[in-house]
Amino acid sequence: MKYKSQAVAKPYFIAAIGLFLGQIVFGLIMGLQYVVGDFLFPAIPFNVARMVHTNLLIVWLLFGFMGAAYYLIPEESERELHSPKLALAMFWIFLVAGAATILSYLLVPYASLAKWTGNDLLATMGREFLEQPLPTKIGIVVVALAMLYNLSMTVLRGRKTAINLVMLVGLWGLAIFFLFSFYNPGNLVKDKYYWWWVVHLWVEGVWELIMGAMLAFVLIKVTGVDREVIEKWLYVIIAMALISGLIGTGHHYYWIGAPEYWQWWGSVFSALEPIPFFMMTVFAFNMVNRRRREHPNKAAVLWALGTGVMAFLGAGVWGFLHTLAPVNFYTHGSQITAAHGHMAFYGAYVMVVLTMISYTMPLMRGRAANGRVAQMVEMWSFWLMTVAMVFITLFLTAAGILQIWLQRVAAEPMSFMAAQEQVSLFYWMREVSGLIFLIGVLLYIGSFFIKGKSEAATT
Amino acid sequence: MWFFILAELLVFGVFFLAYAFARTRNVELFNASQLELDQLSGAINTVLLISSSYFVVRAVDQIRHGRSRSCTYWLLAAMTCGGAFLVLKLAEFGAKIEAGITMSTNTFFMFYLGLGFFHFMHVVLGMVILGAVTLKAWKGGYSAASYSGVETGAAYWHMVDLVWIILFPLIYVLH
Amino acid sequence: MSSAFTKSAARNIFYGGAVFFFLLLLGLTFDTMNTLPKRDNRANLTESALRGKHIWETRNCIGCHTLLGEGAYFAPELGNVYVRRGPDFIKTWMKIQPSGAPGRRQMPQFQLDEQQLDDLVSFLKYASEINTAKWPPNIEG
Repeated sequence: MKYKSQAVAKPYFIAAIGLFLGQIVFGLIMGLQYVVGDFLFPAIPFNVARMVHTNLLIVWLLFGFMGAAYYLIPEESERELHSPKLALAMFWIFLVAGAATILSYLLVPYASLAKWTGNDLLATMGREFLEQPLPTKIGIVVVALAMLYNLSMTVLRGRKTAINLVMLVGLWGLAIFFLFSFYNPGNLVKDKYYWWWVVHLWVEGVWELIMGAMLAFVLIKVTGVDREVIEKWLYVIIAMALISGLIGTGHHYYWIGAPEYWQWWGSVFSALEPIPFFMMTVFAFNMVNRRRREHPNKAAVLWALGTGVMAFLGAGVWGFLHTLAPVNFYTHGSQITAAHGHMAFYGAYVMVVLTMISYTMPLMRGRAANGRVAQMVEMWSFWLMTVAMVFITLFLTAAGILQIWLQRVAAEPMSFMAAQEQVSLFYWMREVSGLIFLIGVLLYIGSFFIKGKSEAATT
Repeated sequence: MWFFILAELLVFGVFFLAYAFARTRNVELFNASQLELDQLSGAINTVLLISSSYFVVRAVDQIRHGRSRSCTYWLLAAMTCGGAFLVLKLAEFGAKIEAGITMSTNTFFMFYLGLGFFHFMHVVLGMVILGAVTLKAWKGGYSAASYSGVETGAAYWHMVDLVWIILFPLIYVLH
Repeated sequence: MSSAFTKSAARNIFYGGAVFFFLLLLGLTFDTMNTLPKRDNRANLTESALRGKHIWETRNCIGCHTLLGEGAYFAPELGNVYVRRGPDFIKTWMKIQPSGAPGRRQMPQFQLDEQQLDDLVSFLKYASEINTAKWPPNIEG
């Protein structure tokens, strides 16, 4: 750690990991409700558990991105953060707002929550992933703007590198596209059309810039490869991400009432979306193979390589699987979508945040890398989580294929619920994989508490 | 740079394949709709782009011999052709919109307007690139020893031209 | 090509490509907005349907169901439920939840009055008449 103010990232990362654990617990509850329908009903109905599961994911990834930004931007800019106090204040505001929101989902009926928080004045709630009450949404904007002010001032007065510029552009894009969450026209087609400007342009657009910048930062540090080379890769990857991803938005416009030419535009461009992810895999392996030093933090290198592979599999391969319009006609809104969603989020965004945490946490705790045992446990957690996620994806894919066959293709199609019962075996196996994933998370958290001889801090 | 030119050609290539595929499934509709196109305008545009590509070749040749001034003139000539292309194309699109034809009219017009517009934007981008190169050449920013910027701009412009040379017969002519 | 591919070239392609394709997205969006009146069934977006959409949102229906294929995959598609089940079935169904059948997936009781149920039905009717390019593949959604 070169600058004192980088330490502000630490609470962000701790909060991120805590919320990650919560997300997994609620995922397991939902997974069980898929097969034991009345589990925890009416205390936690499925819709509430899902809202908590997905919102926790978004919030903890945002914590991770923010923490990463507060860590890497001072180091790249070669100066202290403009205002560490502001960053810390924003942390507490975001944490309290996030926790209050999650608790309100669990404790208050959603309709009452909507009424009390001014949803009648400006209706923004009740849309997938954007369920947050109005005050929370405004809070997100405030926190994001304060962070952007803080980071932009730091970059403006400091050294400008490809990595901190791309990170900053990504975060600005994140804040700007979130503004579409306040636009909720009565016209359902328009509502859905612009809803994707938040969701798609986040995860298949600006988030990829953030991810690329984080990965590039860690790779420079752990491999010692020349910055010029890594930054060139970074630009090429994110250029391909936006070139394919912006019009790739069209793969969501096939069946929601938008003009039918989107089937062509969406198919052609989203078929190219695996390219940046493939390049990211090649990039990570290439840089590690050309490394100029043996970094003592083996776990961080493993996470970085894992990110490349799993992002390509989850976002690239599983995305491509159902992105072409004639295929998507059958797979749209089935368990295939769920399979893709799980592996893509894990492979791209969960893993890149964990990569960043794995690299920076030891430094913030005053050592170059954790001790041998702690690293070994962390790598075990890597494999448990990653393998469990692969199986979750495979079981959901199998469930999806069967569901589609029974409900949409067969000569005498089954009703939704009848088809669900037929595939319940796969849901059980998914739940077991989920438990293994949970063990992985617990091991991961445990690895932070393992003492032992650690590598001295060198940077 | 070649990587991106190839990537661009890949996108157009996929679109052309998609066009061919869609056409085989509905030949009559495509043939009937094709008759409504302004083939003369398309043909003139083809000539314009081919000429402009030739001018760009001349420009590269001039700078290779260190003749900045005459390189600038050839580039300006190429941009004039490009500009004329854009004007004609706009008139063509305008006439179609006037006639109430949109991308949603049928699959043929979706390709004609969609691909046409996509290519149109590439011509605009090509003009911007050529403009930047021209400006730098005019200020004497290139020499016989260092002219890679001119070559890069030229390569992009040839790509845009090449796409049109495939697009024109495919959509306007081929029955 | 004599030049090596430099970082600044890569940067220019990134910024240029981003602007280019964002403009293309805006262009296609402009055309989409002009075409929507023919497809989005806005003529039937009545006051009642608008109130129904508000009920749909404030009860977080999307947390279990899909609507035009988007949402959660825990409960049936509702974009075409008006066609599949009809208005009376929908209203009765809403009134008798939860089923309480052991081990079965449960839907909460939302305590909607007659007016609210009618509004919800008009929203679902409006949604079922949007031109979705023949999706879903069959009535089961």
